[in-house]
Amino acid sequence: MKMSYLILLLIALFLPLFPLSIVFNAVYARLTHPLLRMALLLGWPLAGLYLYSVLQPQLPGWLVSWALATAVFYAFRLLAMREMGIWSGYFATSAWACLWLPLLYGDANTMLYVFWFGVPLLLLALLVSGLERRYGAAYTELYGGLAQTIPRFSGVFVVTVLALVATPVFPAFLGMLNILVASEPLVAITLAGMWAIWSWAGMRLIQGMIVGDPSSDVIEDLPLIYTWGFGVLMLLLIGAGFTLTGNF
Amino acid sequence: MNTLTVLVPALPIVSAILTHLLSPAFGRRVARLSVGFTLLTFLAAATSLGLALAGEPNHAVSLGKGWGIILFDPLSSLMALVISGISFIVHLYSVRYMAEETGYARFFVLLDLMTASLLIMVSAGDLITLLIAWHMIGVMLYFLLGQDTQSPSAYRYGMWTFMVYRIGDIPLVLAAVVLFHTYGSWSLTFIFEQLAANPNAETFFGLPVAEVVGALVALAAFARSAQFLLHTWLPYTMEGPTPVSALMHAGIVNSGGFLINRFAPLYIHTGDVLHWVFVVGLLTAVIGSVLMLAQNDVKKSLGYSTMGQMGFMIMECGVGAFSLAIFHLIAHGLFKGTMFLSAGGVIGKARHDDGVPKDDLYTFVVEREAPKVQQPLLMMVGITLVIPVLVLVLTHWWVAPDLYQRQGAVILLFFGWITGAQLLFSTYHMKAANPWRLLGLILVSFIVVVVGYTLISHAFDIFLYKDPEFASQLYRAAGIDIVWFDTLVIVTTIIVVLGWVRAYRVEKLGSLIDQKPSHWWMNFYSLISREFYMIDFYSGLHRRLLAASARLNVWFRWG
Repeated sequence: MKMSYLILLLIALFLPLFPLSIVFNAVYARLTHPLLRMALLLGWPLAGLYLYSVLQPQLPGWLVSWALATAVFYAFRLLAMREMGIWSGYFATSAWACLWLPLLYGDANTMLYVFWFGVPLLLLALLVSGLERRYGAAYTELYGGLAQTIPRFSGVFVVTVLALVATPVFPAFLGMLNILVASEPLVAITLAGMWAIWSWAGMRLIQGMIVGDPSSDVIEDLPLIYTWGFGVLMLLLIGAGFTLTGNF
Repeated sequence: MNTLTVLVPALPIVSAILTHLLSPAFGRRVARLSVGFTLLTFLAAATSLGLALAGEPNHAVSLGKGWGIILFDPLSSLMALVISGISFIVHLYSVRYMAEETGYARFFVLLDLMTASLLIMVSAGDLITLLIAWHMIGVMLYFLLGQDTQSPSAYRYGMWTFMVYRIGDIPLVLAAVVLFHTYGSWSLTFIFEQLAANPNAETFFGLPVAEVVGALVALAAFARSAQFLLHTWLPYTMEGPTPVSALMHAGIVNSGGFLINRFAPLYIHTGDVLHWVFVVGLLTAVIGSVLMLAQNDVKKSLGYSTMGQMGFMIMECGVGAFSLAIFHLIAHGLFKGTMFLSAGGVIGKARHDDGVPKDDLYTFVVEREAPKVQQPLLMMVGITLVIPVLVLVLTHWWVAPDLYQRQGAVILLFFGWITGAQLLFSTYHMKAANPWRLLGLILVSFIVVVVGYTLISHAFDIFLYKDPEFASQLYRAAGIDIVWFDTLVIVTTIIVVLGWVRAYRVEKLGSLIDQKPSHWWMNFYSLISREFYMIDFYSGLHRRLLAASARLNVWFRWG
């Protein structure tokens, strides 16, 4: 019995549940290199899923409440977070906590959901790094006006955030629908409410970056080839989402 | 035929992609491409409606497994024509109106995507496609309202709109979850067939499916159509470009009425939901109209006017007059769209000449000059009360003799009677050389409006709900106990008549205008001038939530 709880706690470290989620966020905040951050963003939940598949613990029903509470807690904290690096860490915590739900429902697509949220998170980590390189920091409402100053970068940023907060037609939307359909009413209501908070936080993030007067300094925009690459990647992601999880 | 069905929502998407890709090469001329595609969409939609009128049977085209269903039916073809028509006018208008704005090509891309989302919404034959379109409309509107990326206030109010829309998404998502749980399908046609076979089906906690889903769909419609408590975004979204305001007031805000119509086969199996829809619609119509009158900002006044109209549209659904709500939303859309698009021209002309003829109407409405010779008041009251009733009753009896069996029709006639009576009564005050001629002209106008309205709404009823039994079922679902109904009609009539008696006494005893307003009246005025403090409440709630979030981040700063 004690052993099974220890196993659950170990998995809860990687599919972060509060307060164990503090470890993930503390490590993530200390990493500054974008590649390390990207590795952590994707590797952390995959490690959790790997441990789950190897150890196969019995999942108690009360985990739903714990997972939901963690997801809502971090979603709510996103609203006032202005540092974009920490913002992406909080969002990741909220999204990865939600992975417990498909695990509990026995959803075979759980691994895919990591990628549906993970790919936009990786892109956001790259964009955060790009902003830090250009402005020295990635804070919302600090400089603003990116839509005029660096329009291609802004376009990519907006689409990435929309993909992250599960906007249709991005695969995270299909993932959320899959989880909602399998949920009990109260869980579904909470999850749908949390989804709306994600959207609110996402729009605040977008608003804090792109709106405002353009900078008088010349800031290097995203090269055109990268923008095309991003577009192709998004189309592939959307296609993969519809193909792999769009079959309800 | 299948190609045409898919072509209508697909053309704006193709237009958006081409406009985006070709804008670097074509510059601002790329707008013509977008306009051309919208015209094609309109023509395709017109052909589609023509086929529907010619009796083409309903069908669906499925683009995926279990979802991605595009419907062809009278409702979708009619709405597609309206949306593509308004969108075409807005596109055309924007070519010059937006010419000096930054992000010119982006604006047309967003307009195209918004048109596509609206067209997909009205033709969605399954819940997932409907959810995708429903959600995308909110996202597109947010970016359209924030077209000027240097205006924080445009984005602030755009965010209000977006959040109310997201709140409205939640009940629709939950309705989809409940329906999928119960029937194991996303297809609306399949779900409605199953529901018809077993209207008393139950869902979670043993609750009836029809009632639960009906209530959730109504909540989603309330948020989209700015019903009371979820209305504050509408009067405050005037910071966006005028074409967007036109599109929003003429098309997007009407989505609630459409959604309730789409779920009409479900509402015939509901008990109390439509009564609540009626109450919310009535409350919104009254509050929207009162707030409209209290505004000194013309744009906000227009916003509240739309809110009042949306209340009336939802109220029509609440009394079972579903097809009338569709007619109402189309008529209101065309009217309000014209107002917004012509506002700039009117202001420009007014700077040189106000263009107001100094006729009887002007002296009465603007200069508030009472006539020197008035007709006997009691005679005018008699004419006022009787003539509208006669016109309304005869017209409706002409198109459908059994109409009076439907409570909803009686309620709408009641509203028509009050409106007609108010109109006729106003002639009593007007200064005219020949008051009888004036009265006659007003009467003819009233008859033309009532006959036109009655005939067109009847035509809509026949077109949208071909089965008369189905239409009757809708009215029955909206009906209440006959004793209660009669009591309510009598009480309301007494209240209205008492109001008129008071007006009569005021006329006899002298104007109240010179009297000092009572304390109660001033409190009421301050309440409505502050819009029931709802803006303050929501702003305060918003600030408190953000402060709570910030406090949590400080407390748990280590992760």
